[in-house]
Parts: sequence; structure tokens; C-alpha cells
Amino acid sequence: MVDIVFIVLALFAIFGGLGMILFAQPIYCALSLIVCLVALGGIFALLSAPFLFMVQIILYAGAIITLLLFIIMFLNIKDVNLPDEPNKVTTIFVGAALLIPFNILILKAFSTLPNKPMHILGKDFGSIHSFGIELFRGWLVPFELISILLLAALVGAVVYARKGSVDG
Amino acid sequence: MADSLLSYIALAMILFSIGFLGVISRKNIFIVYMSIELMLNAINLIFISLGRYYETMVPQVMAMIIIAIAAAEAAVFLSLIVVLYRRKKSLDSDIFTVLSQKDAHE
Repeated sequence: MVDIVFIVLALFAIFGGLGMILFAQPIYCALSLIVCLVALGGIFALLSAPFLFMVQIILYAGAIITLLLFIIMFLNIKDVNLPDEPNKVTTIFVGAALLIPFNILILKAFSTLPNKPMHILGKDFGSIHSFGIELFRGWLVPFELISILLLAALVGAVVYARKGSVDG
Repeated sequence: MADSLLSYIALAMILFSIGFLGVISRKNIFIVYMSIELMLNAINLIFISLGRYYETMVPQVMAMIIIAIAAAEAAVFLSLIVVLYRRKKSLDSDIFTVLSQKDAHE
């Protein structure tokens, strides 16, 4: 049962990703990326990370990609504005052939790990409670640095998008 | 199949490769950005599957931090795209070499 769920989610993720790099219009790419990210969220749930499943749905599919869709629609892109990509498919195939040895190397490295059953763990592992304890006990300084980074990104985005600097 | 670490790593590597191919083969700046997001997600999947394998919560916290950094990146990257699109009326990533020039006002 879990196998079927995993295979279906993996196929959704892979085809979403392939659709993202093959479609010409950015709006279709963003929509297939949403499919891919939601399927990845389901795989996080299979890996006993229910909190990250929620974060993936709410933050990635719900906030980041929605912001991206909003920007794409806001810019009102016509076909003339899209760049020509004559060598797209050739580059994808040549690149895929070159990436195969690299992938085999990584998989061989991971296959040396001893095999362990990966069934879904009980309700404590990956819940908000244990996640929060781990975050605020061991990772408090990175957490605060992330808040400063988000503030800096907010200020930077406002400075970039100001009207005066664009027209001047 | 869902019981072995290797299938999760294989899925993550496939997604990372798709993202990498998107970065090297597309010129549309939006798709380059989305491919970067896909690569970050593939790395998140590797982190979380290793966390499940070793039964520790630390990689999930790291994955959360990666998601927060991706959110910050999205804000800056997209506002940069908006500014450059208003100036150049094109989404070609080649015109963005203007960012590396000293005298960029025309």
C-alpha cells in the first residue's frame, strides 16, 4: 500500500519537474512546479515528517509559488518577450547523458549504507512538539539569524521595487 | 520500495538532475529560478530521508531552515526580475549581464 502511494507520488513529482523544464510558457511551468512540490510534500509525510509536509504545502506551494504566479501574471508577458531557445531539447539530452555517471556515483555511495526498514514512525517523531524542542534547543542562533536574513530580504525587495529608482 | 533509503535518494537525484538541466538549458529567467527551487527541494528530500534513516530530528530542522532561505531568496529574486523586466522588456537571462557591468545606465 505504502509502495503504491510512494510510486504515484514519485511519478507526479518527476513528471511535474519534467513539465517545468519543457513547457515554453512560464505560467504552465509554475503550475507543473506546484504539482511537483505538492507530491514532494506527500513524500515528506511518508518519511515521518508531518510538520514539514504542512510547511511544504503552506509555504512552498501556498506562498512562494503563489508569489511567483502573481509576478508572472502581473508582468503580462507576451510571446515576443520570451527568449528564443533553439537548442533547448538538445542541451537537455546531452546534459542528461553527462549527469548519469554523477548520479550513479551518488547512488553507489548511498548503497554502501546498511539496509534498514523505513516504515512510518509513531506520532512523536516529526510532530510539531518534537520539532520545536529540537529547533529551540539546538538551533536557536540559526533561527535568529534566519529572522535577520528575512528582514534584510524584505528591505532589499522594497528597495529594488521602488518606483523612483526604476524610472530614473 | 518505500522501505529502502535508496529509492528516496534515487528520486531526489532525479529531481536534482531535472533542476540542473533546467538551469543549463533554459534561457527564461523564471524557469531558471524555478529549477533552483526544485534543486533545493531535492536536497530537502535527501536531508529528510537521512533523518528518517538515522531517526533524528536534526535534518528536519535543517530542511526548515532551507525553506526559510528559499522564501527570502524568492522575495529578492522576483523583485529583481520585476525591475529588470520593466527596463528591458525581455525575460532572456543573457541580458542580465547588465548586472555585472560597471556603467549600466543607458
